[in-house]
Amino acid sequence: MARHDEDVVTVGRSRAGTVTANTTGILFGLIMIFPVYWVLNTAFKPDSEVRSFTPTFFPASPTLDNFRSALGEELFLPSMLNGLLITAMAVAAALVVGFLAALAIARFQFYGRRAIILVVLGVQLVPFLALLIPLFLMLQKANLTNSLIGVSLTYLVLLLPYTVWTLRGFISGIPRELDEAAMIDGCSRPQVFWKIILPLTGPGLVATSVYGFIQAWNEFIIINTLNSPQKQNLMAWLLYNQTERGTAWGPLMAGAIITSIPVVVFFLLIQRNIATGLTAGAVKG
Amino acid sequence: MRHGKYPFIIGFLAVPVALYVTFVVAAYIQTFQLAFTNWSGLGAIEYIGFDNFVKLWNDDLFWRSVGHNLYLLILLPIITIAIALVFAFLLNVGGGRNRGVWGSTGYRVIFFFPQLMALAIVAVIFGRVFSTDESGMLNGLFPDSWSPWLFLADERWALTCILAVAVWQAVGFYVVLFSAGMGSIEQDIYEAAELDGANRITLFFRITIPLLWNTLQVAWVYLGIAAFDCFALINIMSVDRGGPDGATSVLAMLIYRNAFEYSQAGYASALGVALFFLTLTFAALTLRVTRRDAV
Repeated sequence: MARHDEDVVTVGRSRAGTVTANTTGILFGLIMIFPVYWVLNTAFKPDSEVRSFTPTFFPASPTLDNFRSALGEELFLPSMLNGLLITAMAVAAALVVGFLAALAIARFQFYGRRAIILVVLGVQLVPFLALLIPLFLMLQKANLTNSLIGVSLTYLVLLLPYTVWTLRGFISGIPRELDEAAMIDGCSRPQVFWKIILPLTGPGLVATSVYGFIQAWNEFIIINTLNSPQKQNLMAWLLYNQTERGTAWGPLMAGAIITSIPVVVFFLLIQRNIATGLTAGAVKG
Repeated sequence: MRHGKYPFIIGFLAVPVALYVTFVVAAYIQTFQLAFTNWSGLGAIEYIGFDNFVKLWNDDLFWRSVGHNLYLLILLPIITIAIALVFAFLLNVGGGRNRGVWGSTGYRVIFFFPQLMALAIVAVIFGRVFSTDESGMLNGLFPDSWSPWLFLADERWALTCILAVAVWQAVGFYVVLFSAGMGSIEQDIYEAAELDGANRITLFFRITIPLLWNTLQVAWVYLGIAAFDCFALINIMSVDRGGPDGATSVLAMLIYRNAFEYSQAGYASALGVALFFLTLTFAALTLRVTRRDAV
């Protein structure tokens, strides 16, 4: 969209209004960024500076000690690996299962379709905590407590509604004429799904995988309830094991930064697609 | 496309339906069943009729928790959407000459940062922000002679503090979401309105909001869900987990503590049933409001 800067008539646009808008923007931006900056600030401070009662805005003598001590903790690396495995399994499964379910809902008319849509929406609203007791019993019976598989399955169920709902929006946005044209040209139905719909749903798959990754990576209540300390993810480890030793702020913040790295990297890789992905799904939802 | 669609439908839906039936439907049936027992979480199960529900009805903390749930359910979406809309508007058309404010691309990244930080970490940081001694960032800003604000330790303000953090974390995502929606509104419409003498405020209420209505509805649903998830924040941030004196207690917190700390699995299940109906009511209301979307 070309903007004709010089031609635009600026009636009703006062300079004062522009300044107010910019000032509000800057203030708000500062509020948003401050805690993030404070995490970084604390993580690089030596212990003596962290404990000092007069907070300083920059570490006087920056150090990596906090990162070393976080990484050196016995269960840090195993927890990180657990978290990555669980997240990868849950997200991959949610994409495959969710894509197929969304296909069925978006492309076929059948008895009970509306009921399924309502159930999907309903499950998304159910606070999972209400189900934690039966879930625990169920997984215990299946010998899946204290296992990465059990947690992944639970996360899969948590991620599915959003995945199905978003992908359904994307698939509905692909014109049916495209399917029909491909079938006239000799594509079988699975080929249509595989060669036409799947590639066109790309941005939707990206958006849902980001959402899924963030959700699964950051979850800590379910995994802490189901698993022993050896089978935690990084988030649960950070909260429940590190803080037990008192408030070691430096290492805690360093751990927080390390924990956020995968999410940030993932976000940076796909950030161009994210806004389109999110809205396309949302608007058609 | 009529022949042989059922194999596809059944094949595609078998796994998700099986998962729902085991993990959600069966789990809920068991919750309802346990709600009528005095089971502690271990050992024998004894049915006690409606005793749990009578206890719940007379439990002051239960009603206060429901109140807190409703408080978050109503205020979190309203405040978040309001702030996000204003800032998305500023970023897109708020600066001079139909442009966003200075550096609007930078803001988009900044606003998304809280979204990338885990709720748990956010909770830990804000615990520090609100800390009551001088090491607390907010109290550190004021002169020593002032008596420190109690924030999370003050019954009257504790829940508001939690709400503020929840808004802080959620708002960036919706700024990005609304920005994308606003970006798809034709620039010509704004220009035409400006020629007719509309100012920023008129543009916002008469053009932006109506054209974003669908996106707003989606935001409402997601924020409603986020409001139920505030339990995670409360769990880490609040004094005495749900305190002081139950001032930040929500249903999920009561369920968790009864089930896994007080060995009252039966009573926790009854609370789960209550939460189920609260969610159902929210879902029904949402569906009514968003009904004009084709399902």
